Amino acid sequence: MTTQMPGAGSESRATPANPGTTSGGGDLAFEKISHRYVNGSRRTEVLNEVSFNVPAGSVACVVGPSGCGKSTLLALAAGLQPASSGVVRWDGKPVRLGPNPDLGMAFQQPGLFPWMTVRQNVAIGLTTRGRSRAEARRIADDFLLAVGLHDFQDAYPNQLSGGMAQRVGIARALALNPRLLLLDEPFAAVDAFTRLKLQQELKSLLKRYRPTVLFVTHDVSEAILLGDVIVAMSQRPATVQRIIPIEHADRNRASPAYARKLAEALECLGIRSDADGA
Amino acid sequence: MADDTAATAAGTMRKAGVGRAVPGSRVLLPLAGIAFACAIWQLTVVVYDLPVIVLPPPWAVATSLSELVRSAAFWRDVGVSLFEFVCGYALGTIAGIAVGALMAESRFFRMTATPVIESLRFIVPFAWIPLTVLWFGTSYTGKILLVAYAVFFVMTVSTARSVMHVDPTLTRVGTMLGMSRIELALRVHLRAAAPAIASAARAAAAVGWIAVVAAEYVGASAGLGVLITNAATSLQTGHVLAGMVVIGLIGAGVSGLIRRLSRSRLDY
Repeated sequence: MTTQMPGAGSESRATPANPGTTSGGGDLAFEKISHRYVNGSRRTEVLNEVSFNVPAGSVACVVGPSGCGKSTLLALAAGLQPASSGVVRWDGKPVRLGPNPDLGMAFQQPGLFPWMTVRQNVAIGLTTRGRSRAEARRIADDFLLAVGLHDFQDAYPNQLSGGMAQRVGIARALALNPRLLLLDEPFAAVDAFTRLKLQQELKSLLKRYRPTVLFVTHDVSEAILLGDVIVAMSQRPATVQRIIPIEHADRNRASPAYARKLAEALECLGIRSDADGA
Repeated sequence: MADDTAATAAGTMRKAGVGRAVPGSRVLLPLAGIAFACAIWQLTVVVYDLPVIVLPPPWAVATSLSELVRSAAFWRDVGVSLFEFVCGYALGTIAGIAVGALMAESRFFRMTATPVIESLRFIVPFAWIPLTVLWFGTSYTGKILLVAYAVFFVMTVSTARSVMHVDPTLTRVGTMLGMSRIELALRVHLRAAAPAIASAARAAAAVGWIAVVAAEYVGASAGLGVLITNAATSLQTGHVLAGMVVIGLIGAGVSGLIRRLSRSRLDY
Protein backbone atom coordinates (compact mmCIF):
# COMPACT_ATOMS: atom_id res chain seq x y z
CA MET A 1 0.00 0.00 0.00
CA THR A 2 1.33 3.37 -0.91
CA THR A 3 -1.02 5.74 0.86
CA GLN A 4 0.33 7.49 3.92
CA MET A 5 -1.76 6.37 6.85
CA PRO A 6 -2.96 9.37 8.81
CA GLY A 7 -1.99 9.54 12.40
CA ALA A 8 1.24 7.66 11.82
CA GLY A 9 3.42 10.73 11.99
CA SER A 10 2.34 12.20 15.28
CA GLU A 11 2.08 9.01 17.28
CA SER A 12 4.56 6.64 15.72
CA ARG A 13 4.58 3.27 17.30
CA ALA A 14 7.36 1.42 19.04
CA THR A 15 8.74 -1.72 17.48
CA PRO A 16 8.42 -5.01 19.34
CA ALA A 17 12.15 -4.80 19.98
CA ASN A 18 11.23 -2.02 22.35
CA PRO A 19 8.57 -3.58 24.57
CA GLY A 20 7.20 -2.22 27.78
CA THR A 21 6.50 1.24 26.41
CA THR A 22 2.94 2.41 26.12
CA SER A 23 3.12 3.21 22.43
CA GLY A 24 2.44 0.40 19.95
CA GLY A 25 0.53 -2.61 21.18
CA GLY A 26 0.41 -3.72 24.78
CA ASP A 27 0.63 -7.16 26.32
CA LEU A 28 -2.47 -9.31 26.13
CA ALA A 29 -2.62 -12.15 28.61
CA PHE A 30 -5.18 -14.89 29.13
CA GLU A 31 -4.92 -16.32 32.62
CA LYS A 32 -6.73 -19.59 33.30
CA ILE A 33 -9.77 -18.61 31.27
CA SER A 34 -12.69 -21.00 31.50
CA HIS A 35 -15.99 -20.27 29.90
CA ARG A 36 -19.34 -21.99 29.54
CA TYR A 37 -22.57 -21.01 27.92
CA VAL A 38 -25.75 -21.82 29.79
CA ASN A 39 -28.89 -22.28 27.73
CA GLY A 40 -31.75 -23.40 29.93
CA SER A 41 -30.59 -26.63 31.53
CA ARG A 42 -27.91 -27.19 28.89
CA ARG A 43 -24.39 -26.13 29.78
CA THR A 44 -21.72 -26.02 27.13
CA GLU A 45 -18.15 -25.83 28.32
CA VAL A 46 -16.20 -24.03 25.61
CA LEU A 47 -12.92 -22.98 27.21
CA ASN A 48 -11.07 -24.85 29.91
CA GLU A 49 -8.25 -23.06 31.73
CA VAL A 50 -6.84 -21.39 28.66
CA SER A 51 -3.64 -19.48 29.37
CA PHE A 52 -1.29 -17.77 26.95
CA ASN A 53 0.38 -14.41 26.37
CA VAL A 54 0.49 -12.26 23.30
CA PRO A 55 3.50 -9.98 23.81
CA ALA A 56 3.19 -6.34 22.81
CA GLY A 57 3.27 -5.82 19.07
CA SER A 58 3.15 -9.47 18.13
CA VAL A 59 0.59 -11.41 16.14
CA ALA A 60 -0.97 -14.56 17.58
CA CYS A 61 -3.05 -16.67 15.22
CA VAL A 62 -5.57 -18.90 16.92
CA VAL A 63 -6.47 -22.06 15.04
CA GLY A 64 -8.71 -24.86 16.20
CA PRO A 65 -11.73 -26.96 15.34
CA SER A 66 -15.11 -25.30 14.78
CA GLY A 67 -16.98 -24.40 17.92
CA CYS A 68 -13.94 -24.64 20.18
CA GLY A 69 -14.43 -21.13 21.52
CA LYS A 70 -12.07 -19.12 19.33
CA SER A 71 -14.61 -16.34 18.86
CA THR A 72 -15.36 -16.44 22.57
CA LEU A 73 -11.69 -15.75 23.28
CA LEU A 74 -11.89 -12.63 21.14
CA ALA A 75 -15.12 -11.45 22.76
CA LEU A 76 -13.51 -11.84 26.19
CA ALA A 77 -10.41 -9.91 25.11
CA ALA A 78 -12.64 -7.19 23.64
CA GLY A 79 -14.60 -6.77 26.87
CA LEU A 80 -17.83 -7.71 25.10
CA GLN A 81 -18.67 -10.47 27.57
CA PRO A 82 -17.30 -11.64 30.93
CA ALA A 83 -15.48 -14.94 31.34
CA SER A 84 -17.00 -17.56 33.64
CA SER A 85 -13.64 -17.68 35.40
CA GLY A 86 -10.12 -16.42 34.89
CA VAL A 87 -8.75 -13.04 33.93
CA VAL A 88 -7.85 -11.41 30.63
CA ARG A 89 -5.24 -8.69 31.08
CA TRP A 90 -4.55 -5.90 28.66
CA ASP A 91 -1.50 -3.82 29.48
CA GLY A 92 -1.42 -5.59 32.82
CA LYS A 93 -4.91 -4.48 33.83
CA PRO A 94 -7.94 -6.78 33.85
CA VAL A 95 -10.22 -6.22 30.85
CA ARG A 96 -13.54 -4.76 31.92
CA LEU A 97 -16.88 -4.90 30.12
CA GLY A 98 -17.52 -1.96 27.83
CA PRO A 99 -15.65 0.14 25.32
CA ASN A 100 -11.87 -0.05 25.21
CA PRO A 101 -10.28 2.94 23.46
CA ASP A 102 -7.31 0.79 22.39
CA LEU A 103 -9.47 -1.74 20.58
CA GLY A 104 -10.19 -2.41 16.93
CA MET A 105 -12.08 -5.52 15.96
CA ALA A 106 -13.35 -7.13 12.78
CA PHE A 107 -16.19 -9.56 13.33
CA GLN A 108 -17.09 -12.76 11.56
CA GLN A 109 -20.33 -11.18 10.43
CA PRO A 110 -19.20 -7.70 9.45
CA GLY A 111 -22.11 -5.99 11.27
CA LEU A 112 -22.20 -2.87 9.13
CA PHE A 113 -24.81 -0.27 10.03
CA PRO A 114 -27.31 -0.60 7.16
CA TRP A 115 -28.43 3.03 7.33
CA MET A 116 -24.93 4.37 6.76
CA THR A 117 -22.84 4.51 3.64
CA VAL A 118 -19.65 2.51 3.48
CA ARG A 119 -17.63 5.63 4.24
CA GLN A 120 -19.80 6.56 7.23
CA ASN A 121 -19.49 3.00 8.54
CA VAL A 122 -15.71 3.33 8.60
CA ALA A 123 -15.70 6.92 9.87
CA ILE A 124 -18.13 6.54 12.78
CA GLY A 125 -15.62 4.82 15.04
CA LEU A 126 -13.23 7.71 14.51
CA THR A 127 -15.80 10.37 15.34
CA THR A 128 -16.99 8.55 18.48
CA ARG A 129 -13.34 8.54 19.53
CA GLY A 130 -13.08 12.27 19.14
CA ARG A 131 -11.75 12.86 15.62
CA SER A 132 -13.30 15.65 13.59
CA ARG A 133 -15.72 14.71 10.82
CA ALA A 134 -13.39 15.88 8.06
CA GLU A 135 -10.46 13.99 9.51
CA ALA A 136 -12.54 10.84 10.02
CA ARG A 137 -13.75 11.04 6.45
CA ARG A 138 -10.22 11.37 5.08
CA ILE A 139 -8.93 8.45 7.14
CA ALA A 140 -11.93 6.34 6.12
CA ASP A 141 -11.25 7.02 2.45
CA ASP A 142 -7.60 6.02 2.84
CA PHE A 143 -8.48 2.71 4.44
CA LEU A 144 -11.23 2.00 1.91
CA LEU A 145 -8.59 2.48 -0.75
CA ALA A 146 -6.37 0.02 1.11
CA VAL A 147 -9.06 -2.69 0.98
CA GLY A 148 -9.91 -1.89 -2.63
CA LEU A 149 -13.32 -0.34 -2.04
CA HIS A 150 -12.64 3.29 -2.96
CA ASP A 151 -15.35 3.10 -5.64
CA PHE A 152 -17.94 2.09 -3.06
CA GLN A 153 -17.59 4.85 -0.48
CA ASP A 154 -21.11 6.09 -1.07
CA ALA A 155 -22.71 2.66 -1.45
CA TYR A 156 -24.94 1.23 1.25
CA PRO A 157 -24.22 -2.16 2.84
CA ASN A 158 -27.19 -3.84 1.10
CA GLN A 159 -25.50 -3.03 -2.21
CA LEU A 160 -22.34 -4.97 -1.27
CA SER A 161 -21.51 -8.65 -1.61
CA GLY A 162 -20.54 -10.63 1.49
CA GLY A 163 -16.84 -10.34 0.76
CA MET A 164 -17.03 -6.62 0.17
CA ALA A 165 -18.92 -6.10 3.44
CA GLN A 166 -16.22 -8.02 5.25
CA ARG A 167 -13.56 -5.79 3.76
CA VAL A 168 -15.44 -2.74 5.03
CA GLY A 169 -15.43 -4.38 8.46
CA ILE A 170 -11.65 -4.80 8.24
CA ALA A 171 -11.15 -1.21 7.09
CA ARG A 172 -13.32 -0.01 9.99
CA ALA A 173 -11.15 -1.88 12.51
CA LEU A 174 -7.84 -0.80 10.97
CA ALA A 175 -8.88 2.83 10.57
CA LEU A 176 -9.06 3.13 14.35
CA ASN A 177 -5.30 2.53 14.37
CA PRO A 178 -5.85 0.27 17.38
CA ARG A 179 -3.20 -0.88 19.82
CA LEU A 180 -5.14 -4.13 20.18
CA LEU A 181 -6.47 -5.61 16.97
CA LEU A 182 -8.84 -8.57 17.14
CA LEU A 183 -9.74 -10.28 13.90
CA ASP A 184 -12.36 -13.02 13.76
CA GLU A 185 -11.90 -14.88 10.49
CA PRO A 186 -12.07 -11.62 8.61
CA PHE A 187 -11.22 -13.17 5.25
CA ALA A 188 -13.66 -16.07 5.46
CA ALA A 189 -16.11 -14.68 2.88
CA VAL A 190 -13.48 -13.14 0.63
CA ASP A 191 -12.53 -14.78 -2.67
CA ALA A 192 -9.11 -16.42 -2.90
CA PHE A 193 -7.49 -13.72 -5.01
CA THR A 194 -8.67 -10.81 -2.85
CA ARG A 195 -7.75 -12.83 0.19
CA LEU A 196 -4.11 -13.09 -0.86
CA LYS A 197 -4.05 -9.39 -1.62
CA LEU A 198 -5.62 -8.47 1.72
CA GLN A 199 -3.23 -10.73 3.61
CA GLN A 200 -0.33 -8.81 2.07
CA GLU A 201 -1.94 -5.45 2.84
CA LEU A 202 -2.66 -6.47 6.40
CA LYS A 203 0.88 -7.72 6.85
CA SER A 204 2.39 -4.41 5.78
CA LEU A 205 -0.07 -2.47 7.94
CA LEU A 206 0.78 -4.61 10.96
CA LYS A 207 4.47 -4.08 10.29
CA ARG A 208 3.96 -0.35 10.21
CA TYR A 209 1.70 0.10 13.25
CA ARG A 210 2.76 -2.85 15.40
CA PRO A 211 -0.52 -3.42 17.23
CA THR A 212 -0.93 -6.52 19.36
CA VAL A 213 -3.01 -8.87 17.24
CA LEU A 214 -5.18 -11.84 18.01
CA PHE A 215 -6.25 -13.37 14.74
CA VAL A 216 -8.72 -16.24 14.56
CA THR A 217 -8.55 -18.26 11.36
CA HIS A 218 -9.39 -21.64 9.93
CA ASP A 219 -6.57 -21.38 7.47
CA VAL A 220 -3.27 -22.72 8.78
CA SER A 221 -1.24 -21.32 5.89
CA GLU A 222 -2.72 -17.89 6.62
CA ALA A 223 -1.67 -18.33 10.25
CA ILE A 224 1.91 -19.10 9.21
CA LEU A 225 2.00 -16.11 6.86
CA LEU A 226 0.68 -13.57 9.37
CA GLY A 227 1.46 -14.95 12.82
CA ASP A 228 4.46 -14.68 15.10
CA VAL A 229 2.98 -17.59 16.97
CA ILE A 230 0.22 -20.06 16.24
CA VAL A 231 -1.97 -20.95 19.18
CA ALA A 232 -3.45 -24.37 18.42
CA MET A 233 -6.60 -25.13 20.37
CA SER A 234 -8.11 -28.54 21.10
CA GLN A 235 -11.70 -29.72 20.73
CA ARG A 236 -14.32 -28.29 23.08
CA PRO A 237 -13.88 -27.74 26.02
CA ALA A 238 -10.80 -26.19 24.49
CA THR A 239 -7.37 -25.97 26.00
CA VAL A 240 -4.24 -24.61 24.40
CA GLN A 241 -2.73 -27.65 22.77
CA ARG A 242 0.47 -26.16 21.49
CA ILE A 243 2.04 -22.79 20.86
CA ILE A 244 4.04 -22.89 17.66
CA PRO A 245 6.52 -20.06 17.11
CA ILE A 246 6.87 -18.89 13.51
CA GLU A 247 10.20 -17.60 12.22
CA HIS A 248 10.69 -15.45 9.18
CA ALA A 249 12.18 -18.39 7.27
CA ASP A 250 9.05 -20.47 7.89
CA ARG A 251 6.96 -18.16 5.74
CA ASN A 252 8.63 -19.09 2.48
CA ARG A 253 6.09 -21.45 1.04
CA ALA A 254 8.70 -23.24 -1.02
CA SER A 255 10.86 -24.05 2.00
CA PRO A 256 10.90 -27.32 3.94
CA ALA A 257 10.56 -25.22 7.12
CA TYR A 258 7.13 -24.02 5.93
CA ALA A 259 6.03 -27.57 5.25
CA ARG A 260 7.20 -28.65 8.70
CA LYS A 261 5.27 -25.87 10.45
CA LEU A 262 2.19 -26.62 8.41
CA ALA A 263 2.41 -30.29 9.29
CA GLU A 264 2.95 -29.48 12.96
CA ALA A 265 -0.07 -27.19 13.12
CA LEU A 266 -2.28 -29.59 11.18
CA GLU A 267 -1.24 -32.43 13.45
CA CYS A 268 -2.43 -30.42 16.44
CA LEU A 269 -5.79 -30.13 14.69
CA GLY A 270 -5.85 -33.88 14.24
CA ILE A 271 -5.03 -33.86 10.55
CA ARG A 272 -2.16 -36.17 9.70
CA SER A 273 -0.35 -35.04 6.61
CA ASP A 274 2.59 -36.73 4.98
CA ALA A 275 4.36 -33.39 4.95
CA ASP A 276 3.24 -32.70 1.41
CA GLY A 277 2.17 -29.21 2.40
CA ALA A 278 -0.52 -27.41 0.49
CA MET B 1 -13.60 -7.51 -8.68
CA ALA B 2 -15.64 -10.65 -9.13
CA ASP B 3 -18.08 -9.93 -6.35
CA ASP B 4 -18.99 -6.46 -7.63
CA THR B 5 -21.41 -7.79 -10.24
CA ALA B 6 -23.30 -9.70 -7.59
CA ALA B 7 -23.78 -6.44 -5.75
CA THR B 8 -25.41 -4.62 -8.66
CA ALA B 9 -27.52 -7.64 -9.54
CA ALA B 10 -28.85 -7.72 -5.99
CA GLY B 11 -29.71 -4.03 -6.32
CA THR B 12 -31.87 -4.53 -9.40
CA MET B 13 -33.50 -7.68 -8.03
CA ARG B 14 -34.82 -5.75 -5.07
CA LYS B 15 -36.71 -3.35 -7.31
CA ALA B 16 -38.42 -6.02 -9.38
CA GLY B 17 -41.72 -7.26 -8.01
CA VAL B 18 -43.70 -10.27 -9.11
CA GLY B 19 -45.72 -9.82 -12.30
CA ARG B 20 -45.43 -7.29 -15.07
CA ALA B 21 -46.64 -3.72 -14.82
CA VAL B 22 -49.20 -2.69 -17.45
CA PRO B 23 -48.84 1.02 -18.33
CA GLY B 24 -51.32 3.14 -16.39
CA SER B 25 -52.21 0.23 -14.07
CA ARG B 26 -51.09 2.22 -11.04
CA VAL B 27 -54.09 4.50 -11.56
CA LEU B 28 -56.53 2.19 -13.36
CA LEU B 29 -56.48 -0.75 -10.97
CA PRO B 30 -57.28 1.21 -7.80
CA LEU B 31 -60.07 3.03 -9.70
CA ALA B 32 -61.43 -0.33 -10.84
CA GLY B 33 -61.48 -1.48 -7.21
CA ILE B 34 -63.48 1.58 -6.14
CA ALA B 35 -65.85 1.20 -9.09
CA PHE B 36 -66.44 -2.42 -8.14
CA ALA B 37 -67.28 -1.49 -4.53
CA CYS B 38 -69.68 1.21 -5.76
CA ALA B 39 -71.32 -1.26 -8.13
CA ILE B 40 -72.09 -3.65 -5.27
CA TRP B 41 -73.41 -0.72 -3.23
CA GLN B 42 -75.67 0.39 -6.11
CA LEU B 43 -76.81 -3.19 -6.68
CA THR B 44 -77.78 -3.56 -3.01
CA VAL B 45 -79.89 -0.39 -3.21
CA VAL B 46 -81.64 -1.57 -6.38
CA VAL B 47 -82.17 -5.22 -5.44
CA TYR B 48 -83.61 -4.48 -1.99
CA ASP B 49 -85.36 -1.33 -3.23
CA LEU B 50 -83.99 0.72 -0.33
CA PRO B 51 -85.27 4.26 0.25
CA VAL B 52 -82.72 7.09 0.25
CA ILE B 53 -83.16 7.58 3.96
CA VAL B 54 -81.96 4.02 4.70
CA LEU B 55 -79.16 3.67 2.15
CA PRO B 56 -78.69 6.34 -0.50
CA PRO B 57 -77.01 5.18 -3.72
CA PRO B 58 -73.41 6.24 -4.47
CA TRP B 59 -74.38 9.21 -6.67
CA ALA B 60 -76.60 10.65 -3.91
CA VAL B 61 -73.70 10.41 -1.47
CA ALA B 62 -71.48 12.10 -4.02
CA THR B 63 -74.02 14.94 -4.21
CA SER B 64 -74.07 15.21 -0.41
CA LEU B 65 -70.28 15.26 -0.39
CA SER B 66 -70.17 18.11 -2.90
CA GLU B 67 -72.66 20.02 -0.73
CA LEU B 68 -70.52 19.37 2.34
CA VAL B 69 -67.23 20.51 0.90
CA ARG B 70 -68.82 23.83 -0.02
CA SER B 71 -69.83 24.54 3.59
CA ALA B 72 -67.50 26.23 6.07
CA ALA B 73 -68.83 24.05 8.92
CA PHE B 74 -67.53 20.94 7.20
CA TRP B 75 -64.01 22.30 6.98
CA ARG B 76 -64.12 23.35 10.61
CA ASP B 77 -65.15 19.80 11.56
CA VAL B 78 -62.34 18.32 9.47
CA GLY B 79 -59.90 20.77 11.05
CA VAL B 80 -60.99 19.90 14.59
CA SER B 81 -60.72 16.17 14.00
CA LEU B 82 -57.33 16.49 12.33
CA PHE B 83 -56.07 18.78 15.08
CA GLU B 84 -57.10 16.33 17.79
CA PHE B 85 -55.62 13.48 15.82
CA VAL B 86 -52.28 15.15 15.10
CA CYS B 87 -51.77 16.28 18.72
CA GLY B 88 -52.71 12.92 20.18
CA TYR B 89 -50.76 11.00 17.58
CA ALA B 90 -47.58 13.01 18.17
CA LEU B 91 -47.92 12.65 21.93
CA GLY B 92 -48.64 8.93 21.80
CA THR B 93 -45.91 8.18 19.26
CA ILE B 94 -43.17 10.05 21.10
CA ALA B 95 -44.14 8.63 24.49
CA GLY B 96 -44.59 5.15 23.05
CA ILE B 97 -41.18 5.09 21.36
CA ALA B 98 -39.50 6.44 24.50
CA VAL B 99 -41.13 3.94 26.85
CA GLY B 100 -40.70 1.05 24.39
CA ALA B 101 -37.00 1.82 23.94
CA LEU B 102 -36.53 2.11 27.69
CA MET B 103 -38.25 -1.26 28.19
CA ALA B 104 -35.92 -2.85 25.66
CA GLU B 105 -32.76 -1.29 27.10
CA SER B 106 -33.37 -1.70 30.81
CA ARG B 107 -34.31 -5.00 32.35
CA PHE B 108 -35.28 -3.23 35.55
CA PHE B 109 -37.70 -0.93 33.75
CA ARG B 110 -39.05 -3.77 31.63
CA MET B 111 -39.84 -5.92 34.65
CA THR B 112 -41.56 -3.01 36.34
CA ALA B 113 -43.53 -1.67 33.39
CA THR B 114 -44.63 -4.88 31.68
CA PRO B 115 -47.50 -5.86 34.01
CA VAL B 116 -49.00 -2.36 33.85
CA ILE B 117 -48.65 -2.03 30.10
CA GLU B 118 -49.78 -5.56 29.36
CA SER B 119 -53.00 -5.14 31.31
CA LEU B 120 -53.77 -1.59 30.17
CA ARG B 121 -53.28 -2.31 26.49
CA PHE B 122 -56.22 -4.69 26.41
CA ILE B 123 -58.58 -2.01 27.67
CA VAL B 124 -59.68 -0.59 24.32
CA PRO B 125 -59.68 3.22 24.02
CA PHE B 126 -63.47 3.23 23.64
CA ALA B 127 -63.85 1.84 27.15
CA TRP B 128 -62.34 5.10 28.40
CA ILE B 129 -64.77 7.39 26.53
CA PRO B 130 -67.33 7.69 29.36
CA LEU B 131 -64.52 8.62 31.74
CA THR B 132 -62.91 11.14 29.41
CA VAL B 133 -66.28 12.82 28.95
CA LEU B 134 -66.65 12.91 32.71
CA TRP B 135 -63.17 14.31 33.24
CA PHE B 136 -62.69 16.60 30.28
CA GLY B 137 -66.22 17.23 28.99
CA THR B 138 -66.40 17.94 25.28
CA SER B 139 -63.05 19.76 25.14
CA TYR B 140 -60.19 18.79 22.81
CA THR B 141 -58.12 17.47 25.72
CA GLY B 142 -60.16 14.33 26.25
CA LYS B 143 -59.98 13.36 22.59
CA ILE B 144 -56.28 14.15 22.31
CA LEU B 145 -55.52 11.98 25.32
CA LEU B 146 -57.67 9.20 23.96
CA VAL B 147 -55.81 9.19 20.66
CA ALA B 148 -52.49 9.33 22.50
CA TYR B 149 -53.59 6.37 24.62
CA ALA B 150 -54.58 4.31 21.59
CA VAL B 151 -51.37 5.13 19.74
CA PHE B 152 -49.12 4.74 22.78
CA PHE B 153 -49.67 1.02 23.28
CA VAL B 154 -49.17 0.14 19.64
CA MET B 155 -45.93 2.10 19.64
CA THR B 156 -44.63 0.90 23.01
CA VAL B 157 -45.12 -2.77 22.32
CA SER B 158 -43.67 -2.75 18.82
CA THR B 159 -40.77 -0.44 19.68
CA ALA B 160 -39.77 -2.65 22.60
CA ARG B 161 -40.05 -5.77 20.48
CA SER B 162 -38.13 -4.43 17.51
CA VAL B 163 -35.34 -2.87 19.58
CA MET B 164 -34.87 -6.17 21.41
CA HIS B 165 -34.57 -7.96 18.08
CA VAL B 166 -31.82 -5.74 16.70
CA ASP B 167 -28.93 -7.87 15.42
CA PRO B 168 -26.64 -8.36 18.47
CA THR B 169 -23.59 -7.99 16.22
CA LEU B 170 -24.51 -4.32 15.76
CA THR B 171 -24.41 -3.84 19.53
CA ARG B 172 -20.99 -5.48 19.69
CA VAL B 173 -19.77 -3.32 16.84
CA GLY B 174 -21.06 -0.18 18.55
CA THR B 175 -19.34 -1.12 21.80
CA MET B 176 -16.13 -1.89 19.92
CA LEU B 177 -16.33 1.54 18.28
CA GLY B 178 -16.45 3.15 21.72
CA MET B 179 -20.15 3.93 22.14
CA SER B 180 -21.67 4.28 25.59
CA ARG B 181 -24.95 2.56 26.48
CA ILE B 182 -26.91 5.71 25.74
CA GLU B 183 -25.18 6.17 22.40
CA LEU B 184 -25.88 2.53 21.59
CA ALA B 185 -29.54 2.98 22.46
CA LEU B 186 -30.01 6.15 20.44
CA ARG B 187 -27.61 5.77 17.54
CA VAL B 188 -27.66 2.02 16.98
CA HIS B 189 -30.70 0.32 18.48
CA LEU B 190 -33.38 2.89 17.67
CA ARG B 191 -31.89 3.51 14.26
CA ALA B 192 -31.69 -0.19 13.43
CA ALA B 193 -35.27 -0.66 14.60
CA ALA B 194 -36.51 2.41 12.72
CA PRO B 195 -38.09 0.57 9.75
CA ALA B 196 -40.11 -1.63 12.11
CA ILE B 197 -41.03 1.39 14.24
CA ALA B 198 -42.16 3.26 11.14
CA SER B 199 -44.50 0.49 10.10
CA ALA B 200 -45.89 0.39 13.63
CA ALA B 201 -46.42 4.15 13.34
CA ARG B 202 -48.55 3.51 10.27
CA ALA B 203 -50.67 0.96 12.09
CA ALA B 204 -50.93 3.34 15.03
CA ALA B 205 -52.18 6.13 12.76
CA ALA B 206 -55.15 3.98 11.78
CA VAL B 207 -55.89 3.17 15.41
CA GLY B 208 -55.58 6.83 16.42
CA TRP B 209 -57.80 8.13 13.65
CA ILE B 210 -60.49 5.59 14.50
CA ALA B 211 -60.27 6.66 18.16
CA VAL B 212 -60.78 10.35 17.30
CA VAL B 213 -63.94 9.78 15.35
CA ALA B 214 -65.33 7.31 17.87
CA ALA B 215 -64.72 9.75 20.72
CA GLU B 216 -66.46 12.51 18.79
CA TYR B 217 -69.55 10.37 18.34
CA VAL B 218 -70.04 10.45 22.08
CA GLY B 219 -68.70 13.63 23.57
CA ALA B 220 -67.74 16.54 21.36
CA SER B 221 -69.02 19.87 20.07
CA ALA B 222 -67.21 19.76 16.72
CA GLY B 223 -65.45 17.26 14.48
CA LEU B 224 -66.31 14.66 11.87
CA GLY B 225 -67.95 12.42 14.46
CA VAL B 226 -70.26 15.27 15.45
CA LEU B 227 -71.03 16.03 11.81
CA ILE B 228 -72.11 12.43 11.31
CA THR B 229 -74.21 12.13 14.46
CA ASN B 230 -75.93 15.45 13.72
CA ALA B 231 -76.67 14.36 10.16
CA ALA B 232 -78.06 11.07 11.47
CA THR B 233 -80.41 12.71 13.95
CA SER B 234 -81.80 14.91 11.17
CA LEU B 235 -82.09 11.79 8.95
CA GLN B 236 -79.64 13.12 6.34
CA THR B 237 -78.28 9.68 5.55
CA GLY B 238 -76.41 11.00 2.50
CA HIS B 239 -74.43 13.34 4.74
CA VAL B 240 -73.74 10.52 7.20
CA LEU B 241 -72.25 8.39 4.45
CA ALA B 242 -70.41 11.37 2.95
CA GLY B 243 -68.82 11.99 6.36
CA MET B 244 -67.84 8.35 6.56
CA VAL B 245 -66.25 8.54 3.11
CA VAL B 246 -64.25 11.58 4.26
CA ILE B 247 -63.05 9.67 7.34
CA GLY B 248 -61.90 6.83 5.14
CA LEU B 249 -60.15 9.13 2.68
CA ILE B 250 -58.32 11.08 5.37
CA GLY B 251 -57.24 7.86 7.11
CA ALA B 252 -55.87 6.46 3.86
CA GLY B 253 -54.16 9.78 3.15
CA VAL B 254 -52.46 9.90 6.56
CA SER B 255 -51.31 6.30 6.23
CA GLY B 256 -49.93 6.93 2.75
CA LEU B 257 -48.14 10.05 3.93
CA ILE B 258 -46.38 8.19 6.74
CA ARG B 259 -45.40 5.41 4.38
CA ARG B 260 -43.96 7.92 1.93
CA LEU B 261 -42.04 9.75 4.66
CA SER B 262 -40.56 6.56 6.08
CA ARG B 263 -39.77 4.92 2.76
CA SER B 264 -37.46 7.68 1.61
CA ARG B 265 -35.23 7.41 4.69
CA LEU B 266 -35.64 3.86 5.92
CA ASP B 267 -35.41 1.63 2.89
CA TYR B 268 -32.86 -0.93 3.99
